[in-house]
Amino acid sequence: MSYELTPEEKSESPVKEDKIKSDILTVNMGPQHPSTHGVLRVEIKTDSEIVTEAIPHIGYLHRCFEKHAENVDFRGVLPFADRMDYLAAMNMEWGWCLAVEKLLKVEVPRRAEFIRVIVAELNRIASHLMFFGTYSIDLGAFTPFLYAFQEREFILRIFEELSGARLLYNYIWVGGVWNDINDDQLKRISSFVTRMEGEVEKYHNLVGLNKIFVERTANVGIMNEELCFDYGATGPVLRGAGVNWDLRKNRPYGIYPEFDFNIPVGTGEKGTLGDCWDRYWVRMREILESVKIIRQCLDGIESGPVMGKVSKIIKPPKAEIFLRTECPRGELGYHLITDGNKEAYRVKVKSSCFTHVSMLPAVSPGLMIADLVATIGSIDIVLGEVDR
Amino acid sequence: MLEEIVEAINKKIPEANATLNKAEIGDSTINVDSKYILPVCKFLKTEKYFNVLQVVSTVDYLPVEEKEGQPAQEGYIEVCYILASYSKNLELILKAKLPRGSAENLPKIDSVCSLWSAANFQEREAYDMMGIDFVGHPDLRRILTSQNWEGHPLRKDYVVQEVFNGMVVNPPEKMNLPDQQFGVKNNANSMSNKNPMGM
Repeated sequence: MSYELTPEEKSESPVKEDKIKSDILTVNMGPQHPSTHGVLRVEIKTDSEIVTEAIPHIGYLHRCFEKHAENVDFRGVLPFADRMDYLAAMNMEWGWCLAVEKLLKVEVPRRAEFIRVIVAELNRIASHLMFFGTYSIDLGAFTPFLYAFQEREFILRIFEELSGARLLYNYIWVGGVWNDINDDQLKRISSFVTRMEGEVEKYHNLVGLNKIFVERTANVGIMNEELCFDYGATGPVLRGAGVNWDLRKNRPYGIYPEFDFNIPVGTGEKGTLGDCWDRYWVRMREILESVKIIRQCLDGIESGPVMGKVSKIIKPPKAEIFLRTECPRGELGYHLITDGNKEAYRVKVKSSCFTHVSMLPAVSPGLMIADLVATIGSIDIVLGEVDR
Repeated sequence: MLEEIVEAINKKIPEANATLNKAEIGDSTINVDSKYILPVCKFLKTEKYFNVLQVVSTVDYLPVEEKEGQPAQEGYIEVCYILASYSKNLELILKAKLPRGSAENLPKIDSVCSLWSAANFQEREAYDMMGIDFVGHPDLRRILTSQNWEGHPLRKDYVVQEVFNGMVVNPPEKMNLPDQQFGVKNNANSMSNKNPMGM
């Protein structure tokens, strides 16, 4: 990335090149910086405006979820799981419930399975809208944020009606869901997803194809396939690198095998495969795929109970399980070890955001500081999940 | 599938002594000798398509005292390397047992950073939370807690330090009910009304 003088310029230049000294300057970005999406501190070593090294420092939001999970019962873990990725709390809960249900061999009623898919996909849309809004702000465009939040508000209202909370729901329970969904809500969700399809096209014309946006994101922060596998990246980062991998298709859970949808992957349309623009475009198309899934759910939803038969005190047998689910930001894995008591013996969370933060030192050398902001925004981290 | 992998490991690296833990509920795992973790991982990566290290998980087992009919057991720490193969759509939990060690003499195991860059942050977290010394790690520092924090929080016998950087960690007026506190399960005898944290 460094600019080199041509031979003519060198001979004409009054300054001898070996006499120019450039200092390495250390800049701290964060922990209270709007573009780091939370309390992430990145220690940047810069040579003029070019980043030579970026070291992420995390842990400012560490609450030791894993220790909490060893000390409360299996239902009590759910509110803590909410607080990991607070922008996609439904998906966090679902993974935990699936792991416990698999150990207990509980059967979840069909209606609850449909509701789970609906709320998880709605939450995925809300999370991607949040990404769209904040990423635009990172790059200096304020208006898209307002568009995104207008639509996100609808989803939060629906969730508020279902669970009583706007962000941290505690809605998906072991054995089913807590509350039934009514026909009026289903009807409103139906009209919302129809509107959402048009909105995505509007957003893409407004931001995605905007020349300034393309200049800022194409060919910036390239995470190719090799790097993604080396670091274990998942979710939109992996798919942005052109890898066709989605747990909902490749290792399905819940009732996902019944639905027809595609996996959007990066194409390198505006620049190089795996750049920031590809990751943005994968997320936008994922909204459309979620709309497809929700529409099939609304058509196929069955009536019946929403809670399976689970004993009052949950005591799974002594076992071990590692279960992954596809969350908006990547794969979330619960490594759950039980010893036959009513608390888990050990819980370890495989967090995709944690993995993605660890990729920053690999992609940042050679970027401008402003491009580093664009890169951090494009991997869409939530510090609650990084630090747990 | 796992039987084949165990057989292949034993054929290639017989010293590693790989054994299969078959589970009826949940996931089956493979145990190997902790001294040979690096060659085993290298073999799995290069010849068995496990190209992704997802997570390094650690479990602490306290020593069990002798009871009627039950022999005493030594405590140990298990390091679980959870690998994935995207081309073959496989998943594998690889385990290595370590002694629990002490605060001055942490248990040692070879770092797998040279195989997967993902191991860098994962092993730092394991060091921070469980106190395992990864030999050959390029930058083994604490990652989630502060650099001058004492102890390793996810150890089962961990007790929170009283004062950190001049701040009282758990002031009495902010304590929750005793039955929600950490360490209650393990320090049941040291529990009293006066001293709910065992401090």
